Amino acid sequence: MKNTTRKFLLPERYRMVFGAAFFFFVMLGIFMLSAPTVFLDIGIYSAIFLSLPLFMIVGLSLVFCVVSGEIDLSFPSIITFTGFVFAWILEQTDNSFIFAASAALLAGAVCGLINAFLVVKLGLSSLITTLGMNFAIVGLTQILNQGNIRTFEELNETKIRTVLVGSTGPIPNQMLWALGIAVILGLVFHRHKFGLHVRICGDNPEAGRAMGVNIEATKIICFVLVGVASSIVAIQNVYLNSTYFSTTGDGYLLPVLAAIFIGGTPVTGGRGTIGGMVIGATTVAFINTGVIASGLDGFWTSFGFGIAVVLSLLGHRKFSGRLTR
Amino acid sequence: MTRNALVSLVNISKTYGRVFALENINLDLFPGEIVSLVGDNGAGKSTLTKIISGTEKPDAGGEIFLQGEKVTKWSSAKARSWGIETVYQNRALSEQQTIYDNVFLGREITNRFGFVDRKKEIEATEALMRKIGYTSKVWTPMSSVDKLSGGERQGVAISRAILFESRIVVLDEPTSAMALTEAAEVLEFIKGLKESGKSVVFISHNPWDAYAVADRFVILERGKLAIDCPKGKLTADDFIAMLHKFAKKDVKK
Repeated sequence: MKNTTRKFLLPERYRMVFGAAFFFFVMLGIFMLSAPTVFLDIGIYSAIFLSLPLFMIVGLSLVFCVVSGEIDLSFPSIITFTGFVFAWILEQTDNSFIFAASAALLAGAVCGLINAFLVVKLGLSSLITTLGMNFAIVGLTQILNQGNIRTFEELNETKIRTVLVGSTGPIPNQMLWALGIAVILGLVFHRHKFGLHVRICGDNPEAGRAMGVNIEATKIICFVLVGVASSIVAIQNVYLNSTYFSTTGDGYLLPVLAAIFIGGTPVTGGRGTIGGMVIGATTVAFINTGVIASGLDGFWTSFGFGIAVVLSLLGHRKFSGRLTR
Repeated sequence: MTRNALVSLVNISKTYGRVFALENINLDLFPGEIVSLVGDNGAGKSTLTKIISGTEKPDAGGEIFLQGEKVTKWSSAKARSWGIETVYQNRALSEQQTIYDNVFLGREITNRFGFVDRKKEIEATEALMRKIGYTSKVWTPMSSVDKLSGGERQGVAISRAILFESRIVVLDEPTSAMALTEAAEVLEFIKGLKESGKSVVFISHNPWDAYAVADRFVILERGKLAIDCPKGKLTADDFIAMLHKFAKKDVKK
């Protein structure tokens, strides 16, 4: 058996990460060739690291949901809603971070629980249900917020802001938070029994049930995780911009989904990778910034996302030997 | 319910909508015996298997006793923790996961924080697969199950059932779609289970296989227990003739 082990030079679980990394470095090479002065300067990377972590945090949580065989398309609205909850409670409590953050996290968890109830307990399609919830939650937030823009300039000099979205050298702190969350979720996904149970949910839930795995509870936790991660992004967003506006969550949906699929997590469930998601989110952030930095019109960004998703599928096919459906 | 039974099923019924899958089944499973559970398609064999293994709950009124003690909230987790292991007809394997993930699914070796000790699981899987004679040179415990042939997948399902200290092993059609030599190995394996003191419930469509290994026959007919008798009371010809009789009765109906 030892002889046969040598045949697997690259364990299967890392092949998706390699597919994503291969694509990323090819893309980075193209950007460097097209705009060397921009991409060989550290400034562009600091700029990318400002927005990348927000995509990454919510995308990391969504990997669990997608791998469990479900999808949550309501996360942009949860970012919007929990951002409102955070901003409103900050106003009501004279900027009490603890109260506001606790309420936002709780609101995110409740949104996740509502999605989970509809999908797991009532058996509705997660794709359609969470799409509907996305509209419903955004609508609710707009009703509650009444189009107000809430500014928090007084937060600019606070220690909490420095910790959450300040910078350590050239690296924005939110990037360090995102990497910390990626490490924790990576350990949970790849090494903890919960991560295995998530994969079983998307692979063969009947087998899981037969072996005593609580499929329903596992899926519920996945939805709650998306809600909580969305609220973390909302809190960081308010601190980053010192402002809350009710379009906060707009623009997250397509880049986050693209990051997941570029990262090698297929829509069919049962498989996925946290490392791949980190690379996928980085790829998306580079497309966002790189297209402009390369001198192209901003309209090319969506085109870039589309090409990136398709090309990365080919990369995954090459490395993992399977079609990423 | 008999006194020294490991598991006793009392008045077990199971309906799906208006369809009676099982009707008032009373069955005892004793230590160290092989029970061949046979019957035609739709007789209720798989449903009974699922109830024994905890993946299905019986209808109200049915009772399950483990060594004389009545159990409540019967579940697959409870069945496994008590010592009932099942090899399902569909093998209940997660194809995209590794062999060792499948072997330890639901009973992962973890530290106190729930993190899986992969090294221990891989070593134990490797030893186990060697022990039961599945020494394919193509895969390792880290290979995903979708790479394996049908026989090898059955090997994984069987090894999962014997890894843990079980008292009863339920095998739902383990020889179906197998080559003759593979099926013969499985029958030898079943006898080996008995020798090691385990009880076996062997579900099969094949009357010759069922007769070859059994100590007792249980024949189900359209959800009802038709025959429950020890092997000594029936020759192979009688047994097969009896099965044919039930099958013809079903055709006439």
